[in-house]
Amino acid sequence: MAEIYRSRFRADPYGDKDAPPDSDYRIFIGPQHPWAEEPAHFIIHLKGERVVEADIRIGFNLRGLEKAMEARTWRQNTLLVPRACGICSAVHQNVYVRLVERLAGVENDISERARLIRMFSLEAERIHSHILWYGILAHDSGFDTLLHISWRDREIIMDIVEDISGNRVNPALMMIGGVKRDIPKEKIERTRPKIDHLIKQVEYHRKVFTEEASIRNRLENVGILTKEEAKKITPNGPTARGSGIPFDVRKSYPYELYDELDWKPIYYPEGDVLALTLVRIDETLESLYMLKQILDKLETAEGELLQRVKTKVPEGQYMTRAEAPRGEDIHFGMSNGSDKPERYKIRAPSLGNIDATLKRMDGEYIADVPVILRSYDPCFSCTNRIMIINKTTGEKKVMFQDEFAKRAIKAKKYNRSIF
Amino acid sequence: MSMKELVEILQTEIPEKLVDEIERVEGAPHFTIYVKVDKSRDLIKILHDNAGIYHLTTVTGLEIPDKEFRVIYHLQHRDEETEKEVPINVIITGIDINKPTSPTMSDIFVCAEYYEREIYDFYGIYFENHPFMERLILPENWPDDVRPMRKEYSWQDIKEITLSLAKKISED
Repeated sequence: MAEIYRSRFRADPYGDKDAPPDSDYRIFIGPQHPWAEEPAHFIIHLKGERVVEADIRIGFNLRGLEKAMEARTWRQNTLLVPRACGICSAVHQNVYVRLVERLAGVENDISERARLIRMFSLEAERIHSHILWYGILAHDSGFDTLLHISWRDREIIMDIVEDISGNRVNPALMMIGGVKRDIPKEKIERTRPKIDHLIKQVEYHRKVFTEEASIRNRLENVGILTKEEAKKITPNGPTARGSGIPFDVRKSYPYELYDELDWKPIYYPEGDVLALTLVRIDETLESLYMLKQILDKLETAEGELLQRVKTKVPEGQYMTRAEAPRGEDIHFGMSNGSDKPERYKIRAPSLGNIDATLKRMDGEYIADVPVILRSYDPCFSCTNRIMIINKTTGEKKVMFQDEFAKRAIKAKKYNRSIF
Repeated sequence: MSMKELVEILQTEIPEKLVDEIERVEGAPHFTIYVKVDKSRDLIKILHDNAGIYHLTTVTGLEIPDKEFRVIYHLQHRDEETEKEVPINVIITGIDINKPTSPTMSDIFVCAEYYEREIYDFYGIYFENHPFMERLILPENWPDDVRPMRKEYSWQDIKEITLSLAKKISED
């Protein structure tokens, strides 16, 4: 292993450029590959059955979000920003609205109730994202039973998110100046038993991961990233906390009301994929306990949900950060006094984590590559279904995207109602 | 005043001739340092070597129209005992608008290497002594002289370029 670590992202499409001299075979994964839901091109250089070095090409999914934001108003961007990521949309929206509130000078006027509802949305998102991740990890390590069990239980939190926001994956609850919807008392009451049930289930998942030999052996001592290496390559979020770097933005640079809750950041010093898994499972449990505290506080918390904020934002620049499910999310915004941003920068956590993940692969067996590649949590969304409820009879019908689209085209063609 | 607070947090002297201005952002323990481009490398080196800052979150490119380019290094000062972070944004000012160059920090922070390449893609700011100054994120057939985040290109222009590229590919 070279003493001076150099960053990856150097490959050309054929993997010839900067190829390590001692490798004798290459494996290409992507740009389109059934393993990865997102387009990315991994090039893995092998010597026999061992990985010498792995590299990546990115940029297949560039949508020009930052440029698009400069052409829209601050208020329109509230709904564009969550599209930065399919599965951690709420956290991007949260970082954005806090940045605009700060620039507009209303950050101290946000009521306690609005902040609690925001935190509920953020933590619910973390839970469903983590459960999704360790489900797929189980699938990658050949233990599909756990995938099915954990995704069945994930529906509990998805139902909670749908109940409070109306949407499964993109809750879009946050607005500049507060939140869009309240969580009324009856919803609090019907959410509580669901959370208690999910805590029991997640504890069971943890037991399987730590006690079931067939999955533990696939994860333990695989893809080790030591603390010294992590300090050099600077991954963030759970990827760093699995290597014993004890920083969680919720604790280290508190935002919303996280410093008023009773919780502890999770970190494990081992640095292997099992440590990453345990970080995420324990964080899921910690977030579930947090949800219970937030619901208790919501019983009594008062305050207006939405403040009036002027459409024109005064001149200035500011940076906000938050702990997304995958790590540290940072936004930097600059306003010029008009109703549109002058410059807006988004850095989602995964970009900082890819480098460390590729480093984990050095010297590992080719059979461990899928598990290690999964460890930084590449994300995808699952939004292709809607449920239609007949208002008078209460009858429910689940419809998939294709059918819905067909009906919509027919309805337009013959000028009649869609249902 | 802000200088004194920052020095207290970092436990390291920062030579006054290196920095133009230090701002402490109200409400949050969060600092902004303005530095000229020719002194930026010395400052970042002091922050890394003497103050022990090892975490670079990202690098932002910025255009002040008709004036200059700026590059912002978002650093985090970390204290492992208290588990607290103090963000420090180092804003490098005075990058020439006609021939934008800035010194690279990729030998100080490993991750600066790809963040700087992203800025090279979007703004065309060339980082001197960078080991691999090539395209990171823009498509392979993107025209070399178009730097999409510059203000001279509107959202509509970028859309047209993208559509013409797509048309060219489908014709081939």
